[in-house]
Amino acid sequence: MSESLYLLAAFISAFTGMAWLALAMPVHWHQVHEQGKTRPATSAMRGTGSVMLILAGVFCLLADHASMAVLVWFMLLTLSAVLVAWLLARRPALFRLFCFGRFSVASDT
Amino acid sequence: MQNSFRQAMAWLHTWYGLVLGYVLIVAFFFGALSVFDREIDRWAIPDTRFEPQVMPSYDGMLKDVYERLKPHPDDWAFTEMRVVGPMPDPDTLTLTSLYAYTTHRDPLLQIGGEFAIPNRLKDSADDHAHVHGWTTIDPRSGEMLPDDQLKIGSEWFYPMHYGLHLGWNNLGYWLVGLSAFTMLIALVTGIVMHRKIFKEFFTFRPWKRTQRSTLDLHNLTGVVGTPFHLFFAFTGLIIFASFIYFPAGSSLLKPLHDQGEVLESAETGLPLEPAGVPAPMASVDVMVSEAKRMWAERDMAGEVGLLTINHRNDINGYVSVYRAGSDRVALVGEGIHFKASTGDLLREDPPRSVVDEINEFLTGLHLQHFEHWLLRWLYVFGGLIGCVCIATGFIFFVEKRKRKHAEKGSQGARIVDALAVATCTGMVIAAVGMLVVNRLLPAGMEGRGDWEAASFWGFWLLAFAHAVFRSAPVARNLLNPAWREQCYAIAALGVAAVVLNWLTTGDHLIKTIFLETYWPVAGVDLSLLATSALSLFAARKLAAREYAQQPSNVSFEAGDVAHV
Repeated sequence: MSESLYLLAAFISAFTGMAWLALAMPVHWHQVHEQGKTRPATSAMRGTGSVMLILAGVFCLLADHASMAVLVWFMLLTLSAVLVAWLLARRPALFRLFCFGRFSVASDT
Repeated sequence: MQNSFRQAMAWLHTWYGLVLGYVLIVAFFFGALSVFDREIDRWAIPDTRFEPQVMPSYDGMLKDVYERLKPHPDDWAFTEMRVVGPMPDPDTLTLTSLYAYTTHRDPLLQIGGEFAIPNRLKDSADDHAHVHGWTTIDPRSGEMLPDDQLKIGSEWFYPMHYGLHLGWNNLGYWLVGLSAFTMLIALVTGIVMHRKIFKEFFTFRPWKRTQRSTLDLHNLTGVVGTPFHLFFAFTGLIIFASFIYFPAGSSLLKPLHDQGEVLESAETGLPLEPAGVPAPMASVDVMVSEAKRMWAERDMAGEVGLLTINHRNDINGYVSVYRAGSDRVALVGEGIHFKASTGDLLREDPPRSVVDEINEFLTGLHLQHFEHWLLRWLYVFGGLIGCVCIATGFIFFVEKRKRKHAEKGSQGARIVDALAVATCTGMVIAAVGMLVVNRLLPAGMEGRGDWEAASFWGFWLLAFAHAVFRSAPVARNLLNPAWREQCYAIAALGVAAVVLNWLTTGDHLIKTIFLETYWPVAGVDLSLLATSALSLFAARKLAAREYAQQPSNVSFEAGDVAHV
């Protein structure tokens, strides 16, 4: 895989990871879903989100020398977090893609 | 006295952030532009729009160029003040040491050197009886670039980032250093005063009232950008610590420093002083080839980033060849040193110690001479979210107080807001306006660079005057129309710069992207257009908000708020 593809994979992983970490919070989950019908499976989403962030770091390491990779990784995490926050505010429906099956449970409220 | 630790931290964050935020936002913005300083140079000096070049042959070209190098008038004037008696004729001076520096983004080559002078120094602690010369050359022909062509990216925006062009007693360096230190304080105090860092990590509610949504954006860009802000403020301080902020090596600890140089010279075998015995130079090109071969043996093939010759034409002379650090964070490295008169290998730099590695990493990550375009753009993003963080800090400060100040008849919020406009949009107007002037001034005009620099300050001064003149509504708890008007000005200037670039050079975007691809110019043009689009969008949003604040539309505003 070329360096560019690794970096693309790193960005997708970082963005997905941040999206899941955000959606694990009820307040953001309800930005995406109708209030009261479902709630996030917090632990599963946090766990998967964290793994995706680490995976992003692995892709960065595959693309570049470690000293460079760590900088790219930090900056991709920053970019992804800002993008997720902005899209949650402006285009929350986009995040339905990240809310499949086992990440949501019926709300007991 | 504050009631609690958190309140004390909030006070510190607010007031230190406000006072030095005006400097800090300038450092962040021009730092973000400096990531592409070489590309902005290409845009500003159309004659230099060609591909990056590798280090040219010393024997075949540079040797003759250095023969033509003269002391720089600026350093000549400075040196005249340091020495006793009149300086000799500049044409009679001998070049004793020299350097040539390039990176993977440079079509041009920066060269310079030291000329020995016979004068006695006024200050006995001053041990540099030299006058310096420097210039930029076209490495394809060896031709020197006219000195009055300002490289707007690397000679104006970049020094603005770390020195504000305030040279008197290094005042600019100190102000930027103080504001970087304040950034570290603001980050720590911000973390202490923010009650819900993780809970509100992704929180941004633009539909809430201005004060709340601004604070959301301030927190978001501050918290999420903390690694970037922290590292850049810290490494910025480190870069200048040893020779501006804590120059112990040239002051308190000078004897120790001098002794260290002697010991280092004995250890490395690289002579500290000339012997005073003339000697001819062996072929430098052969030495460069040998250095490249040795790097390749270590699986580190690359180009020469820095070439230096010390004690030129002396038996103690030596040539140092450093590898360009394009493929890693450090600037240059793997130095290989040769005896200048024979070409014999004197020394191969050993692998760096852990301390040196850390130092190289910290300075290299800030100065970013590496070849990684994604990371460059991510740095621009980091710099811009730093600007957003500081700008939203100003706006939050004003929004929180302006109603009370209006009721009390205080001008505090109005002053802060006017300064915020002058800094935030004013500096963008100054930067883009300078590019417009660059394209309007005749190509061969004498003192062209000085006029460009004057236009930068002129635009900024106008923006400041406009921000102050239009700020009266803030004292009545309304929006300052200068925000909107200056956004329109940025939008117009950005488009004008792109159009003027097309008209004066023929380099329109279709050409620079598709026909004869040249990304440095296309990138600057596209960034200018993006800035214009964003400014236009912001101006229209601000116009809608101003309209909603007009007394005849208050019912609409109230309904709108109630709806949210």
